[in-house]
Amino acid sequence: MNKQRNRDYRNRIEKALATPRLQQALHNFGDAYVVARQNAFAGLDFEAMRTEIGTMKDRVRENRQDLLAEFTRNAEAAGAKVFMARTAADANRYIAELAKQQGVKTVVKSKSMASEETHLNQALEAAGVDSLETDLGEWIIQLAGQRPSHMVMPAIHMFRDEVAELFSKVTGQAESDDIPHLVQVARERLRQGYFDADMGISGANMAIAETGGIALVTNEGNARLATTLPKIHVALVGLEKLVPTLEDATNIIRVLPRNATGQLLTSYVTWIRGAVPCGDGDKELHIVLLDNGRSALAESPHCKQALNCIKCGACANVCPVYQTVGGHVFGHIYISAIGVILTAFYHGLDKAAELVRACIGCRACVAVCPSNIDLESIILHLREVVGEEEGVGAGKSLVFKRIMRNRKLFHGMLRAASLLQKPVTRGERTIRHLPLFFSGLTEWRTLPAIADKPLRDQWRSIPQKVDKPRYRVAFFAGCLNDFVYPELGQDLVKVLNHLDVEVSLPLNQNCCGVPALYSGDRETAVALAEQNIAAMLDEDPDFVVTTCPTCTMALQRDFQDLLGDNPVWAEKARQLSERTLDVARFIAEKLDGSNKFGVPAEPERVTYHDSCHLKRGAGVWQQPRDLLAGSGRELVEMQHSDRCCGFGGSYSFTSHPDIAKRILGDKIEDIEATTADCVAMDCPGCMMQIRGGLEKQEKAVRVAHTIELLAESLAEKTDFGER
Amino acid sequence: MLSGFIEALQKVGGQAREIETVQQAAAYIADRVKGSVLLPEQSSLDRAGLAKALDAAGLEVIRNGWRERSADAEGGVTRVNFALADTGTLVLDSTEEALRLTTTLPEKHFALLDPGKLVADSLAAVPYLRDFHARSPRNYLAYITGPSRTADIERVLTIGVHGPRELHVLLLPGLSDDFFEI
Repeated sequence: MNKQRNRDYRNRIEKALATPRLQQALHNFGDAYVVARQNAFAGLDFEAMRTEIGTMKDRVRENRQDLLAEFTRNAEAAGAKVFMARTAADANRYIAELAKQQGVKTVVKSKSMASEETHLNQALEAAGVDSLETDLGEWIIQLAGQRPSHMVMPAIHMFRDEVAELFSKVTGQAESDDIPHLVQVARERLRQGYFDADMGISGANMAIAETGGIALVTNEGNARLATTLPKIHVALVGLEKLVPTLEDATNIIRVLPRNATGQLLTSYVTWIRGAVPCGDGDKELHIVLLDNGRSALAESPHCKQALNCIKCGACANVCPVYQTVGGHVFGHIYISAIGVILTAFYHGLDKAAELVRACIGCRACVAVCPSNIDLESIILHLREVVGEEEGVGAGKSLVFKRIMRNRKLFHGMLRAASLLQKPVTRGERTIRHLPLFFSGLTEWRTLPAIADKPLRDQWRSIPQKVDKPRYRVAFFAGCLNDFVYPELGQDLVKVLNHLDVEVSLPLNQNCCGVPALYSGDRETAVALAEQNIAAMLDEDPDFVVTTCPTCTMALQRDFQDLLGDNPVWAEKARQLSERTLDVARFIAEKLDGSNKFGVPAEPERVTYHDSCHLKRGAGVWQQPRDLLAGSGRELVEMQHSDRCCGFGGSYSFTSHPDIAKRILGDKIEDIEATTADCVAMDCPGCMMQIRGGLEKQEKAVRVAHTIELLAESLAEKTDFGER
Repeated sequence: MLSGFIEALQKVGGQAREIETVQQAAAYIADRVKGSVLLPEQSSLDRAGLAKALDAAGLEVIRNGWRERSADAEGGVTRVNFALADTGTLVLDSTEEALRLTTTLPEKHFALLDPGKLVADSLAAVPYLRDFHARSPRNYLAYITGPSRTADIERVLTIGVHGPRELHVLLLPGLSDDFFEI
């Protein structure tokens, strides 16, 4: 690990966290975005649309050589010059030399992320050419000497007073911070630029092979001016912008504005093919196609999907980490989830090494990606790559490789820890303060103590009464359920027994491997996957049920990914995946159990927190609500119910506790606003995080797993019967 | 489709007016523009006698010298090739530079559309788009949906950054049923 790099990164986080109005702005934006986007897609099938785009983009990636040849042929036939730039430097050199040859003094630019990627402005400046950004946001950050903090709204991190200050320097007089006034200043100051410039530089949202034309999707109108008035037009176009046909381009246009800003369509879509008339003659059109790592990305078995990105910026808009620290921390040139991946390929792994750990893994981005990219999985893969290149850290490495892989040793140490913690817990179930250098861990949340007796040691003494079992299921408890919340396992037995299901706890099960995988230690994750598959299938259960959605994802998805190419394990991994269900879905769908619990006389008001991996991994959110409502709870929905709680496993302990704390703060505000008595969830990790935060802040709201509430219903019913 | 088009256009800040004669168009424009308007040669508008009507309504009509004179004109007047109903989008073949300048530089854009030339949405527009490409080897085709806009400062929507602040669509039946006519 590069210490200086890490220090710089930490400093950037600290600075961003100390800017509350940035967080406020990004949170407000995130809220407004969700509503606008939903309205924009009303009556349309987003899933079908993104499947279509993803499939088309897959095809483009595979046939890119043919499409590139077709595009080039058609563009050249229409009078354009096409240059293939292998690197950023090649692209910049071509454009700077062209400017020199043609005696260009000034260029006007419309917004182009590709030119940010290549640092084109600096290259032009070095060649003695002035560049003027004309997109309002880009002009603001050009004046401020900064880089974009969002792909669609580059100056989203800046405020009207800061803009007024920048503009006042340009005009030489005090400009008010009234936004329409500032926009008018930009209009007036930039207008002459289009007339004076000898070259206009744009990007492109699409390069259409069928026509050899490009398409620009814009709102301000500056791209139309920049591609009309100057004699020379240079379009800098990333190779991934290729699409086969006008239909394909139209499909993107139908989705891009809706998903980017919640607009049905941007003010302008501009289709340009060839050297169109300009003044007394024809325009000189140069199309610079930029590779700069894209071919390598297209060839990467694990990451290639990232090339399907249409640059809508939605992955930032919904990202709790982005909303907390902004794009200058969570990004390099390209920002947020897609930015992490593109940075690794376009700017080098070193530039992405800190960022791959900044993702909390909540999959909010995956749910809104218009190209159907599994951003989280790709980031996880890159974390493995960084782990292999730089190591995962000596301490972690020891824990994963030497301890976790050896189940008996690992569990033995957890048991020992349960004894060692006594001076801290004083026999309580909650750790409120930790001494010395551990104190930071309980500064903003309490932590649960490790149970005296893990579930596995209690198992034989838990009575099970099922005469004719409908199913025999194996319970995958996961570390938290087993060693921290064993009572949850007892409740699970009660609840499933009540529904005529017999439960076993295969004792050879180990950690699901996610902590290792998320830290970049794939080898340990593979070893654990094998142990767990063997353990869980040993008794040939009808189903394998889980109470932790992260474990669910491991059993359903990750084990298959890890062992899909392994002839010994692939089939078994598939079997385990098929049999695995989170317990809420199991009860609701396999047992039709929504109405099989009593209704209490005085229903508790319950709000439900959607755990990331349950909703966006396992696709389960209605089932637990049905179970809660069916058992008589009064459900009150909180705002942002499916926003991450900030747990993220080691994210909140070691890698980014400062960010995790803020995300938890947001969640607690949302919970409190409902005035519910109880917040229910289906994840022991979320329980640990949310309960820890509520307890630390001494809030009266109690935290419960859905299964615990169902077990309470049964207990109440029994009480009633005995009376 | 027409009511859908008008509704969508208004939602994005554009104005629509159904009219019956070019004189009404000229009067509408004269009510909103002082001085001069840009009016490039466009066969459908010339056939309808728009230049004369604008002149009669007291406006100076600029028909050449675009680059020099466009800065003076408060309005630009164009026809529309066809429009997309679901998003309120105008489709303009803007390959001629004069058309581009007329629709980008003045503060107000007046667009005359024959309401018979509406298609449902951008997917239905693709065959026409393809036809434009087949008819001419070089193209600059514009989809225009409302006035120019930005939200780049604090996400506050502001109308009229670099392009027109106002977009007026004048719906004139019988203007031209040819999707490709300039």
